[in-house]
Formats: sequence, C-alpha cells, structure tokens
Amino acid sequence: MGGARKRARPTADARGNALMDQDTAATMPTTRIRKPLIPFNVGLVLPAQLTMLAVVLAPTLIAIYLSVTDWQPTAGVPWYRAEIVWFWNFYDLWYDERYINALWRTLLVVVVAVVCELAIAIGLALLFLDEWPWRKLAVSVLILPMMIVPVDAANAFFMLFNDRGPINHLIGMAIGRSFEFSWLSDPNWALAPIVLCEIWQWTPLMFLLMLTGFTNLLQNQIRAAIVLGASRVRIFFRIMLPLLMPVIAVALLIRGIETFKIFDAVYILTRGGPGASTETISMFMYNGAFVYFRIGYIAAAALLVLVVVVSICLALSRPLKRHHG
Amino acid sequence: MSISRTTTNKGRRRFMQGAAAVAGLALAPGYVMRPRTAKAALAMDTVHTDAAKAAKELAAGRAVTLKILQPSGSLGNVKPVADKWTEETGITVEYIEVPLGEINQKMLLEAVAKTGAFDISLPATFGIPDLVESGILVNLDQFATKYQPEGFEDDSLYSTGDYYKGSLYGYQTDGDTYVMFYLKDWLENAEENKAFSDKNGYALKVPDTWQELDAMMAHFHRPDKGMFGGALYRTQYFIAWEWWVRFHAKGFYPFDNDLNPQINNEAGVKALEELVAASQYLYPGARTNGLFENFEAYGQGDKFCNIGWGGTQKYLNSDKSKVKGKLAFGNTPGGQVGDKVLKTPYFNWGWNYVVSSVSRDPEIAYLFTLYATSPAMSTIAVRDPGGYFDPFRGAHYKDPEIIKTYSPEFLAAHEASMRDSIPDLYLKGQGEYFDVLRVALQEVDIGNKKPKEALDEVAEAWNRLTRRMGKRSQLVQWTFLKSIYPEGVRDILA
Repeated sequence: MGGARKRARPTADARGNALMDQDTAATMPTTRIRKPLIPFNVGLVLPAQLTMLAVVLAPTLIAIYLSVTDWQPTAGVPWYRAEIVWFWNFYDLWYDERYINALWRTLLVVVVAVVCELAIAIGLALLFLDEWPWRKLAVSVLILPMMIVPVDAANAFFMLFNDRGPINHLIGMAIGRSFEFSWLSDPNWALAPIVLCEIWQWTPLMFLLMLTGFTNLLQNQIRAAIVLGASRVRIFFRIMLPLLMPVIAVALLIRGIETFKIFDAVYILTRGGPGASTETISMFMYNGAFVYFRIGYIAAAALLVLVVVVSICLALSRPLKRHHG
Repeated sequence: MSISRTTTNKGRRRFMQGAAAVAGLALAPGYVMRPRTAKAALAMDTVHTDAAKAAKELAAGRAVTLKILQPSGSLGNVKPVADKWTEETGITVEYIEVPLGEINQKMLLEAVAKTGAFDISLPATFGIPDLVESGILVNLDQFATKYQPEGFEDDSLYSTGDYYKGSLYGYQTDGDTYVMFYLKDWLENAEENKAFSDKNGYALKVPDTWQELDAMMAHFHRPDKGMFGGALYRTQYFIAWEWWVRFHAKGFYPFDNDLNPQINNEAGVKALEELVAASQYLYPGARTNGLFENFEAYGQGDKFCNIGWGGTQKYLNSDKSKVKGKLAFGNTPGGQVGDKVLKTPYFNWGWNYVVSSVSRDPEIAYLFTLYATSPAMSTIAVRDPGGYFDPFRGAHYKDPEIIKTYSPEFLAAHEASMRDSIPDLYLKGQGEYFDVLRVALQEVDIGNKKPKEALDEVAEAWNRLTRRMGKRSQLVQWTFLKSIYPEGVRDILA
C-alpha cells in the first residue's frame, strides 16, 4: 500500500526538498489507491470464524428450528419441510415424567460424582505435595484410569458388579457366607456402580488439576502462617483452600459439564434400566434421537438441557469473576 | 393361513382377502394387484441362476459394484453367496459392516442424506415399517412381478415381515423365531417326575402352556442346591418379548380393530402378574445378562429352561457347552383359551434383504436379493456355523451341514415354530411402542409399579403414539398385519 502511494505521488520538481515532498504527499488525493475487499487482519481470522459458524452456529440454528417441529426421518419428508408444532415439544417435555426424572438423575450423578472426585483428588494432591521415593511413578500409576477407553472401564465395572463378580465375592468373604446381589438390576442400587465407575475413571484428572494448583500456590502466606504458629489444618482451610478456589472452580466446571454428558457407563452397565431407573439425560436423548428418531422432540430436550448446563456454568464461574475482580 | 405357510391356492386367497381389506382402506394395492403369471417370472428351481443371468444382462458389460450395508458378524453368511454371485455375473460386491443394533439407524440417516452409500441392506425385520415410511426402501412389487417365481414366498416359512401395507419391501433371510430349551435329564428324572406329578397332577414334559412351565420352574428352583428354575430374560426388550407371547397366548391381539390397545385388559394384567411371579424362579443373572451371557450361563447345565434363537442352540450344541446333546426343545408355551391350547410362537428379530431407494441399480440390487434368498443360495448362507442366519426355508432343514450345526431335535422344534410364528408389532414407531412397554414391564418386575397401573399407562402412551404417528395410516397397516397372522392363531385371537 505504501508502495502504491509512492507510485501515485507526483514529483513535479525533481529537485524539490524532502520537506516539501512530505507536505505534498500528505495533501495529495488518494483516488487511485485500491482498497482490498477484506482488510488483511479480518482475512486472517475469517476462515476460522467461518468454520466456527459452520460447526457451531449453523447446527444450533437448525436445532432451534427442529425443536419447534415434529420432524422424524420416518416421516418421509426432509427436515426443512417438517411440520411446525411451535412450542408443543417443550410443553410435552414439561409433562414428560421420564425426561424430568432423567434430568434430576443426571444432576444427582453430577453432584455425587464430582464432589467425591474433588474430595479424593484434594486428599491425594496433598499427599503428593512433598517429595518421597517413587512419587513420580505413583503419579503415573494414579492417572492411568483416565487413559482407559471409557467403554472398557465401564465393561470392567460391569464384570466387577456382576451378581457373580468379584465385588459380591469379596463381600461374601468379609461376611463369611455366600453373597449374591444383583447390583445392576436393583433399582435402588443400579446407579451406584455407574457413579463409582465415573469417580474411578475421572478422579485422576481432578487430582492432576489439584496437584498443579497446590504446587503453584504462592508460598509467602503459607510460610508466614507457619512462622506465626498456625496449625496445618488451619493453614489448609484458611490459606491454601481459598487460594485454590479458582482452580477448584475450573475443575468443577470441567468435570461438571463432562459428567452431565455421562453416557458410556450407563450404556454398558445398565442401558438405563432396570425400567428407566438409571436413565440419564444423554441416554434419554440417545434413545429418543437414535432409537425412536424423534428428532424434533429431542432437539427441544437438548435446548432445555443447554439452558440448564449454561446456568450451572454461570453459577460455577461466579467465584472466578470475583477472583479476577 | 399366512402368505408364508401354504403352497395351496386357498392360503393365497386368504391372504389376498386380508390384503384386499387393506386396499379397501385406500392403499396402494401393490401386492394385491400384482400379476403372478408364471410366464413373466423366473422358475423356482433355477431362480438363482436365472436371477444371475438377468442381472448380467442388465449390467451389459458395465462395471457394476453392489454395496451391501450389513450388521457386523453376518459376513460369514453373506460373503459365500456374494462370491458366487460375482462369479456368475461379474458384478462385484462391497461390504459395509455396522454394529448389530445400528443398522436401522444408519438406514434412516441415509434416508435423510441420500448419499447412495449402499444398494442393498440387511435391516432388522421389525424396523421395516419405519424404513418404508422414511422413503429409503424400494417397493419391490414391480420387480417381483417381473422376476419372483411362483411359490417363492410360500417356500419361506416366515415372510410376514417382508410386507408393509400390502406391498413387498424385502426378503426374509434369517429364521429368528423364539424356541424353548429344557434340560432333558431333569425332565426324565423318575424321582423328580413323581414329586412333580404328586403335587401338580400331571407328569413332567415339554410344557404346552405357560402355567405348566411356571409350575415346572417353581419345582426345579432350589438355589441352595445350585439348581435354578430357568434362565429366562428380565432385561430390556427380552422382558417385553416374553410378555408379548404370554399375552397373545391368552387369546388377544395387542390392539382391537380400531387400534385401541387391549394390552391392559384382564388377560394382559394376568400375563404380567404371571411373568413377575415367574421371576423368582430364575437364576440371579436374569435381570442383567444379555444374549451371550445368557447362553453361556445356561450352558452350565444348572437351569431347567431357557428361551432363545438359533444362535443360542449353536452355542449350546458346541463343545463349549455342558448341555450339548442333553436338551429337549419346544415352541414357546401357549395358553388355554376355551377348550383349546393356543400356541403363539414368536418371530421377534430376523434380517431382511432390502433395496435402497437411492441405489443407482435398484433392479440389479433386487436380483441380488432374490438370488441370495433363493433356496440354493440361502442354504449356503445358513450353513455358516459362525454366522447368525438361522434356517427359514424348507430346504434348510434337510441340509446335512445345517442339521449337524443345530441338531435334528432342535430343527424340528424350530421348523414348527417358524411355520406358526406370530409377528412382532410391525407398525411405524415399533421401537417407541415397545420401549414404553418394556420400561413399564421392568418397573413392575422390580416392584415399582402394580401391573394394572403400569399397563394402563402403556395403553395411554400407545394411544398418544398412535395419534402422533397418524391413526389412519397405522390402522391401515394394523388391519393388514392382523390379516396375515397365522391362520390357527387368527381364528382364536380376539
């Protein structure tokens, strides 16, 4: 562009001084300068933005449209010609006992699993703060579960909690007689193996986040507290934990969102049964969309879930906002 | 008599009457109107060679490749036939395998995307109504008129699922009827026999009714001694399937003539109460184990009875099983309706060859389906001991290799069951109808709901489903489906 401007600049007096040249350049019309259609900086980010639009915005808009239709692939009409039912899907969902139960059940799983993961992870992270022999190896072993394919982990828990599996065998050994209990087919207990599987597999991630958080805490306040004679418990609750809050909030946010989507463990262990007593929201939506093909209805369900998840995220991110002023 | 159960003109006339009833409801009467002149169609004896020849002519030197979308694990059944097809026609075949439970989903997605990813597919039979309504299946009436030999469908022991609203949409290629398994040693044990007959007034035998079976399960159930009454399923859809047979055996269709659910009537409630009562005589894994775990557990030889398909027998008749050669077989038990014992064996899965509406060569694809389900070729397909296509044509029951795989005793029970099987609920939205049912049944089985309350809720949900699916359209198919129930069953069901 600069070059173009120089080429356009008339040089009437070849012997003219530099100052005059500069003045002339500043006042000369720029009618011959070609402006690019897209500014350079915009051009750089445009492909990424368009990709984002294609993969996020377009499907979201389609989902919103579908949520007000009654479209099913089995209807024999393309989705863009589906019958509009306006807000009847949302109305039906409000009275769909199975959907509401699945939502509450999922929230229960999220709360129980994530709180347990956090508590165990903090405990383990504290253990690993000091240097001790084989520490690095122990960390490696501890994070192994999260590297296992979720379906395999669920399969292992299916075997563990089978009515003739090791869990029953161990309980039998402990109580001194044969113990047979169908964990996965008892409506009151079937959720427990699912939650345990989730905790077992994802506590390592929480542990890594907590360990990183603890390791990066500023030591000045802790040292000062030690010098002033504060107990270890007091230091933990009054200094370390408050300082760690942003990390905890992020960890809860990540794990909360992830656990809300729990599917593999439910699918492998119980398929939502017995009855619908372990059906989580993902399982409900999987059945609705890919078994019964009620795409419109499930799009409406998904939008409602999105509202719930975003609300939870906003609630969890408030401490972060406070932390950053 | 249904279309699949007779070679007589009487049977066909009956079917035509049923289909005509459907046509009266303003249907496209494809099957009814289809000319069936032997002159136009291929000959039954040489149908496979003739179909191959016709396909070769249609291809006319073009490099045609047929793509088959099939459930994983069926390659052993499909490939030997496809290899012969390629040999005879020069038309190559490509296989696209998808997980067992996902093939119908893939097809419905193809109905939306229309990519032409496959020409032929092997969906589960119960999904055909949904697939037809989605527009992904070719109506085969025209092709059948042109090529299908006289008696081709009659020779197939079960072809009810091939039709939807009177038109042909596929060819059954797997005989998935339910068969009962019993431990012969236990049935023939003199001491057990005496104890049982003293209590019940009749001897141990392959039971004719569910009441008899339940009594036998109760008799043999001694968990403290490591003996269990049965290995029947209480998981997912299996529980709904068992109730479906128990309910039909009490003499009722699931819907009345106006598509109002009858499942919550007295018979339905009684059937459910009996099913739940029988649960106490099952082995501990009944509520968790799926198909493979089930037959492995039954293969231990400590459970009196089991229910299953041909695949179950393939395992139980193998060296891995402790009950090989020690089993007695029977149809699913029936029920006492008036002075008659009503038997309602049940065809609850099966795979169908169908043609994609997006196929570029639908006629050649159709000829492949005709070729693959012909008596000669289907025998080759069913022979594969590792596959899961079970016998479905008369010829299969005479093949030495198939007899060796399944055992003559099992095949006798299987053939009888195939001939009189009641169909699944072949309505649009079958999955939704059954899911509502199975959730309710499981809720009752685990004690969360009372039978009447649960079935009333199911009936209400079914009414909503029917309204959503379009009652008029559903009624057309229901009227048609009722007309092709096995004749002996149809005469008794109300």
